[in-house]
Amino acid sequence: MADLGPLWLSVRVATAATALIVLVGVPGALFLARLKFPGKGLVSGLLILPLVLPPTVLGYLLLQVLGRRTWLGGWLDQGLGVVLVFHWSGAVVASAIAAFPLFLLPTRGAFEAVDPALEDVARLLGRGEFSVFWAVTLPLAWRGLAAGTVLAFARALGDFGATMMVAGNIPGLTQTASLAIYDAVQAGDPARAGRLTLWISIVSIGALWLVQRTLPVRGSGH
Amino acid sequence: MSAANSILDVRLIRRIHAGLTVDVTLRLGTEIGVLFGPSGSGKTSILRLITGLSRPDQGYVRLGETMLFDATRGIDEPLRLRRIGMIFQDDLLFPHLNVAANIRFGLRGASRAERQSRLAEIAALCGVEHLLDRRPSTLSGGERQRVGLARTLAPRPRILLCDEPVSALDLPNRQTLIERLRAVQNSEGIPVLYVTHSPAEAVTVGTRLFLLERGRVLAEGPPLDVLASIRGPSFNHLEDLRNTLPARVESQLPGQTATLLRLENGPSLIVPYLEAEPGTPVVVQVRAEDILLARGPISGLSAQNLIPGKVERVITRGPEAEALIRTGDVTWIVSLVAPAVEQLALSPSQDVHMIIKARSCHVAPGSPPRAEH
Repeated sequence: MADLGPLWLSVRVATAATALIVLVGVPGALFLARLKFPGKGLVSGLLILPLVLPPTVLGYLLLQVLGRRTWLGGWLDQGLGVVLVFHWSGAVVASAIAAFPLFLLPTRGAFEAVDPALEDVARLLGRGEFSVFWAVTLPLAWRGLAAGTVLAFARALGDFGATMMVAGNIPGLTQTASLAIYDAVQAGDPARAGRLTLWISIVSIGALWLVQRTLPVRGSGH
Repeated sequence: MSAANSILDVRLIRRIHAGLTVDVTLRLGTEIGVLFGPSGSGKTSILRLITGLSRPDQGYVRLGETMLFDATRGIDEPLRLRRIGMIFQDDLLFPHLNVAANIRFGLRGASRAERQSRLAEIAALCGVEHLLDRRPSTLSGGERQRVGLARTLAPRPRILLCDEPVSALDLPNRQTLIERLRAVQNSEGIPVLYVTHSPAEAVTVGTRLFLLERGRVLAEGPPLDVLASIRGPSFNHLEDLRNTLPARVESQLPGQTATLLRLENGPSLIVPYLEAEPGTPVVVQVRAEDILLARGPISGLSAQNLIPGKVERVITRGPEAEALIRTGDVTWIVSLVAPAVEQLALSPSQDVHMIIKARSCHVAPGSPPRAEH
């Protein structure tokens, strides 16, 4: 089973990336759905840019921002001791950014579909903002959120271009399944490529199936 | 209503848009007050300003001893601490929660036992105890509004605001909800401020009427007193309210095609079919401009009501005129154009016939509360 290493790395990277996406994406989507501010169109445009840029271009741009010699990369390195380039955490950041729009779009749509008057009712019934979100907004937007999470996870799991540009293709360290499949094909090992392809497909489809099964028909009851 | 014994005491000034600035002072005790006015007169805006859903430019909101908002002192209590209950035109139930969870929503912080006992108490009061396990999507319109009422009242708000809560309901359900509202007002002992644009509701729901126009209170007081104060051609735009007459159902016409009413100390009137037992008190409204006058009896008309009466008075103001016609104890207001007064040579104590289509009679269940003196 040694050659399933890249698969485990992929799952680990995609899971971490998805967690990062949800952490940033839920408040982001909520802000975009509920608040009006100047330049909102520009901000939402920038946030879905990773969807339209070629992944290698995205990876190159990330490298320009996060590389050790850049301002941000230098600060991360000196200040926090975090080096993203040629490290698996770089793969997490790269695939998270590549997959972010796929979470943001359905989640923002789901939040927008929740009637703000229902949130006002909850406030009038004595609930604070945090409680309004947990008891009303989230249960009603749940389906969109779940769909976005699965899409983002699947996209992060399969990322190739952005990951390779930022984290490189180091077997055992940053070589995710997608990169390993490419390597196996290059090295004339179609059996290995086929095994990895099969497994990564099972994981992706499994995640989709799991979410569809656990998704309640209409929000969640008490 | 003096400031001393009122529970709700507000002064609200806010520019809503170029054509509407709300500028009102309202005081209300433990009773049902009705805000009545045409759409765009600022009724809903006033409720939103009281709740804190929008913010007055100037003024204050006092509820009992508590100042909830005061522009000059910079007081602005957050919504969740105001303890103001509000029910809406749409019931706005939480679709993901069943009826019991909807009603318990505002009871967080109470103990489990308290929550259960309040749920049982309020569900019985609002007549929804048999619906507790149901989802909102499986309820009828009337049931949904009663659940909404129960949910709003469960955390014991200090006042209940109602924004046209029955406008989406049919007649029997309207009556049921309004009766529940009265019962609730009585048992909870809180002020209720009820917004409506229906002239029939304006005079039957509450004991105090605020007549609203373009963001200002035009007249206020017991409903019948307010109606009495709005006679005269300068109030022609309120013609909906001007012939508001208490009556009782006398009988149903054969085949349930129409209903015969008897006005209090006045003539009988055929109105569109109304599902109600003989003896049920109702209020009939006929717009002053929907009544035709004829010098003598006329035959061959489709109109169902041909009522003889006597001219009491004719008031002419420019191109508009108004005739007061007496039948028994009832005085009708008929609005006309000035040339019609000349052509009919209308003068006091002259005999005329009023022609009223059944369709022009708008009937609502209930009776207007009498002025308390």
